[in-house]
Amino acid sequence: MKKNLPWLLWLWISAVIVGAFYYAPLAAKFIGKSSRILYFHVPMAWVSFTAFIAAAVWSVLYLMKGRQERHDRAAAVAIQLGLLFGVLAIVTGSLWARIEWRMWWNWDPRQTSLLISLLFYAAYLALRGAVDDPEKRGRLAAAYALLGIVVTPFLFWVMPRITFSLHPQPVVNADGKVEMDPRIFQVLLASTFAFTALFFWMHNLQCRLQALVARKTDEQE
Amino acid sequence: MSPLASTWAAEVAAVFAKEWRCELRTKVALNTLGLFAVTTLVVASVSLGPLGVSKAQGSALLPVLLWLILLFSVAAGLPRAFVQEEESQTATALRLSATPSALFCGKLLYSLTLVVALEALITPIYVTIMNLQVARPGLLVTALAAGGYGLAAGSTLVAAIIAQARSKGTLFSVLSFPILLPLLILVIELTRNAVLGDPAGMALAQLLLYDASVSIFGLMLFPVVWNP
Amino acid sequence: MTKLHFENVRRRFGRLSVLQGVSGTVLPGEALLVTGPNGSGKSTLLRCLAGILAPDGGRIDYQEDERALDLAERRLRIGYVAPDLAFYSELTVAENLQFFARLRRVSPERGFEVLDRLALPTDRMVGTLSSGMRQRLRWGWALLHRPRLLLLDEPFQNLDAPGEEGTRALLHEHLEQTPGGLAVIANPASLEIDRVTARIDLGR
Repeated sequence: MKKNLPWLLWLWISAVIVGAFYYAPLAAKFIGKSSRILYFHVPMAWVSFTAFIAAAVWSVLYLMKGRQERHDRAAAVAIQLGLLFGVLAIVTGSLWARIEWRMWWNWDPRQTSLLISLLFYAAYLALRGAVDDPEKRGRLAAAYALLGIVVTPFLFWVMPRITFSLHPQPVVNADGKVEMDPRIFQVLLASTFAFTALFFWMHNLQCRLQALVARKTDEQE
Repeated sequence: MSPLASTWAAEVAAVFAKEWRCELRTKVALNTLGLFAVTTLVVASVSLGPLGVSKAQGSALLPVLLWLILLFSVAAGLPRAFVQEEESQTATALRLSATPSALFCGKLLYSLTLVVALEALITPIYVTIMNLQVARPGLLVTALAAGGYGLAAGSTLVAAIIAQARSKGTLFSVLSFPILLPLLILVIELTRNAVLGDPAGMALAQLLLYDASVSIFGLMLFPVVWNP
Repeated sequence: MTKLHFENVRRRFGRLSVLQGVSGTVLPGEALLVTGPNGSGKSTLLRCLAGILAPDGGRIDYQEDERALDLAERRLRIGYVAPDLAFYSELTVAENLQFFARLRRVSPERGFEVLDRLALPTDRMVGTLSSGMRQRLRWGWALLHRPRLLLLDEPFQNLDAPGEEGTRALLHEHLEQTPGGLAVIANPASLEIDRVTARIDLGR
């Protein structure tokens, strides 16, 4: 069964893509067919946020459960992927902003929040690069990742509410209510699930690869 | 060795006193902070020209400039609190003598007093030179206090982190700015409210929440950062 | 009873395996002497025992009065002398010792006691001290809080004859008179110290 999970994922993603372009209707307030971007942009931003939460959890595990290398590695890979998906989210978001609001970037609070969180991820990776000793690197990185928790509520909850945002409100689900066509919601949910699964699959692969490389270098010494 | 509350406080006081005693003999941090801030201030006011900015532009722009000056001065002068310990190799003696929480609080208090001194120096000069009319000076002082505290607290922990890494100068800016950005956004808004005479609103509450969070997290994470 | 026991302590730096499983036990009144050429891991071992360096593997158990101390407690309880220990050069000798006395929550008089014992100049800026005086200051700092476990890395380095005599006397006193006093000493060459009950040679 485990071997088939990736295939299942590919199938699911294919279904989402088909659904995004053929099944879901065009959203009312969007220009032309641009609402299709929704099904990719929103999940990517969501995954970027999830990646941070995952990294924070692994950082806690690292610090509290015996400083195991695998937890440190998991946190670092999560941040790397968070950066990747975040960049993709910004790119897709900018494409859409160009269509919808005629500007690539306008310091919309949600855009800005995402950008600040990416700066944070990049800072985390820069910190890792600046420490040679694995033990020190692990705990300094874990501490910094957890310090990011101070910032996260502000970025993801406070900022989008304190200033006027051009982001479409029902779509971004500000009040927790669902005010969109059920088919749009279905595809969006399915896509979010797909992207989250994709994140964890990529994460798993990358962690295993790095563990193998580490073991190989150990054996060579 | 049961730590009594009063002797923990005595440790904090000892660290604070030691920081200031060393600083007053060398004046490195004071000079760095002061010179940096004054230089930036001069550049800003010269660039804006003899006629300055209009009132409308002023309320939008000047709060931002003030906090940028404070931010960059802090980045220039505060990390020294921990970097110096590592570079002069006194950190080992500290690691083996000080209770981590007391050390953190002592250093934080020291950083805080530095920031307050900096703000006390810069703000009057700034307000005067830029011809900034502040409708609610009380709120401005509150903003300076709450914002200054956040700057000090965030910078102290990040300084402790980067002190043990390479390329400390650039790394401090890279690591601290994402952490301090929410603080800056909030405090700039609060400062703007003070200038315009608007109510403090949510910004003050959120700022205080930020200050509390960064203090708690700093205190919890410092032992991990400081000791192997 | 005070007891230090370490087992299979390992540590590497990058590709270099510096400690490859070192073990030992030290009981009150005993001194463990660790010898070996430069780079053999003596300082590394002492740092691990002091708690300022995390070993990659193995265990270090330290107990005082039958109670096992965790890493944080051990760090604050031990006395440590090492060549890279430094103090605040902008403060005087007395100010440095007062500061650390306050941190360690011992009375300030203890600082002066230690100053006298090691014949340290009270009001000299640490930045102006000779290397021999610096070494005496390290001893003074290590003994401030009357530790039971002394970890000494090249303890007589840079000392002149009276300095070495004085500190040897202190070491003997510590091993003989301090209740539960024990020591681990690292030195490139072998040292003539009574009470050395065990040796570890890290030489390759």
